[in-house]
Amino acid sequence: MSKDKIITWLGERFDLGKIQELIGKQVNKPLPKNIGWLHTLGSMSLFLFVSQVITGILLLIYYRATVNEAFESIKFIMTKPYLGWLYRQVHAWGANLMIMVVFLHMLRTFFMGSFKKPRELTWVLGVFLFIFTLIFGFTGYLLPWNQLAYWATTVGTEIAGAVPIIGEWIKVFLRGGTSVGGETLSRFFVVHVIILPWLVFFMIGVHLLLVRMQGISTMERVDEEKKLQMGEGTPFFPHHILKEGIVFYLLIGILITLSILMPFELGEKADPLQTPHAIKPEWYFLPMYQVLKYLPKLLGILILGIAPLLLIVWPFLDKTKARHPGKRPVSVGIGITMVILIIIFGLLGYWAESKRIIFGKEYEFDVYGKPHRIFHETKK
Amino acid sequence: MNTKIRFVIFMLFFWTANSFFAPSAMSNSCLKCHVDYFEDMKASVHSKEEIFCDSCHGGNATQKLQKDAHDVQKGYVGVPDKKMVANICGKCHADVERMNFFGIPTDQLAQYKTSHHGRGLFQKGMNDVAVCSDCHSYHDVVKVNDPTAPVHPLNVTKTCEQCHGNEKLMNRHNLPFDIPEKYKNSVHGKALMEKGDTASAQCVSCHGSHGANPPQVNKIVSVCGKCHINERKFILESVHAKLVMAGKFPECIACHRNHDVGPANLEFYELMCLKCHQKTDSALIQGERILTLLKDSERMMKSSALLVRQAGIDGFFIEDEEAILEEVKTKTIEFRPLQHTLDFEKISKLHVELKAKNDEIDSLLKRKRKDRHARKLALVFIWIFISIMILTLWKRYKQYTRLK
Repeated sequence: MSKDKIITWLGERFDLGKIQELIGKQVNKPLPKNIGWLHTLGSMSLFLFVSQVITGILLLIYYRATVNEAFESIKFIMTKPYLGWLYRQVHAWGANLMIMVVFLHMLRTFFMGSFKKPRELTWVLGVFLFIFTLIFGFTGYLLPWNQLAYWATTVGTEIAGAVPIIGEWIKVFLRGGTSVGGETLSRFFVVHVIILPWLVFFMIGVHLLLVRMQGISTMERVDEEKKLQMGEGTPFFPHHILKEGIVFYLLIGILITLSILMPFELGEKADPLQTPHAIKPEWYFLPMYQVLKYLPKLLGILILGIAPLLLIVWPFLDKTKARHPGKRPVSVGIGITMVILIIIFGLLGYWAESKRIIFGKEYEFDVYGKPHRIFHETKK
Repeated sequence: MNTKIRFVIFMLFFWTANSFFAPSAMSNSCLKCHVDYFEDMKASVHSKEEIFCDSCHGGNATQKLQKDAHDVQKGYVGVPDKKMVANICGKCHADVERMNFFGIPTDQLAQYKTSHHGRGLFQKGMNDVAVCSDCHSYHDVVKVNDPTAPVHPLNVTKTCEQCHGNEKLMNRHNLPFDIPEKYKNSVHGKALMEKGDTASAQCVSCHGSHGANPPQVNKIVSVCGKCHINERKFILESVHAKLVMAGKFPECIACHRNHDVGPANLEFYELMCLKCHQKTDSALIQGERILTLLKDSERMMKSSALLVRQAGIDGFFIEDEEAILEEVKTKTIEFRPLQHTLDFEKISKLHVELKAKNDEIDSLLKRKRKDRHARKLALVFIWIFISIMILTLWKRYKQYTRLK
């Protein structure tokens, strides 16, 4: 069947002209001049989501979500199937990169004031997408059923249990019992491979729809944005698409390189009777985990609970018209402070309960991340 | 209630309770005078079965006066001599009907009479040989599996040592007195006394207990073969089998010694064979060939274990290799009994199998290392491809922006 025949066949059934016009409109839609490399962070997040879905499907072929088989099935994936080790590593690194990229995308939106009117809902959806990405990480981390995962989940769900009144209920609901076990694994598995992917898929759809409908934000003040006409700004195709392509190849390279040079070890199988020393959550939860150590339990949970709420309602709190970061000293100041605090608490959490040699001197970091010099007795 | 009445009821309760729990012992008149013996025997197996003084010493335990209780006419024997001890114990312990329900064998007396001890006592009239009470004790006899029993596996060496470590006594019988000391330093002695391994051989494992005798030369293989089953099987397939059966060659102890059995090692081939063979013997040359295979098998096992361990440290999954290593270890262990056949072909066959397993581990690990290396090498090509793609896209991008 020739190309013409296919077009004729489709043309008899659909209004191809209208479809072509719709696609053309989207493809040729001009983007504002301020579009830079940082604007590819959104598509990078999308690419990583797609990569996670593909590698996740491949993992699902062999993965068994039971206490007795989960660890062994991951080990099987890493040793037996063709390129099994690669898609497992790409999935693991992809998860970490996705959290990083989504967070950077959110920072870019925040500092460039893109969340402001008329794009408040796009921002709200974006915050939810970030939260769901974190939940993706939390639920996926348990699935290999190794020691680190088991105990990180135990600690994570224990924190949820400290919420006043409903805490215990939440803990039991998350775990499917009083302790982390087979029920927890099943629940996390279902959330990770069924609920979250579809939820995130539809939310990304709406998020993208809003972006396409409202266009990319310029640096102009709120209500003063000029609608770009055809031929103005930067064309979406091919200009921006070429940049996206470059970033796409770069990401693939980074993912494969990390997978080969810094593979995630599977470690030991989960043993509920053997608690390892210094249990820590994944790096993206470390700042939160560390904050909880310094504050009274209730206050800590309250602050951690308010943080995402504050992010969600931020466009409705910051109603100033300016978008340029130089003209929003208070918001930008708050943003920079928060980023610095996240980095500091993350580092303190990373150093806590470990021994390190700094400038030739050995230090032991306590649970709060405070260093204590170790002096070794020398035999006379 | 009146205090006096309370006291009387209290005393009555204790009196009745006491007589209820130990009626027979209390009614035995012997214990009125020999209460100190009762302290010894109340935990014994006999006391628990209500077998008291008169069962062994005779007399009348219902009489309250000493002269009536110690009436020789009533069978009173007082302190029995050694022969009497054997017969008194045998009276019950050789009684099939009586022992039936306790599940205790009844051939001890018969066995004892065939032993060196028994023959010395009954046939030669020796009074310084061991009899039942010398090993089992007398008033406080407990079951063999009781850890406090002198014949419990962990204590039996000390019990035998009481006589066999006694220089004067052993000299009287022209027997060596250093055997217990030798045993303590042997592999068996160390396993038993230092590690508490009750499965390890001790005096009675080889000599027998009631029928204790030194094994004859042609019985040594059978004695050692009780535990070392495969070694026995393979020795009987060896060129030495005929000599063993003819009682001309004390197979096991010829190399391993008897009481002071040391750890078996490959040096035996270089030291022990020369005791009988000349250096130019073809048998000795055969032995050297076998020795080479055995040494090689030990080397292979060690090298495989090292390879697997190092691969584990380097972050490889080594479950498959560990499973093969277990086979290698099993095969290496198989060499130990098999070498007793002195059959080069059989040993060589096992060596080939072992080598195949060893090579399998080696090739599997090599492949894994090669794979890892190939992955790193592939990165170079991947980045060349990515760089080309990025450069092409960048060039295009620049073209478009310039056009605009």
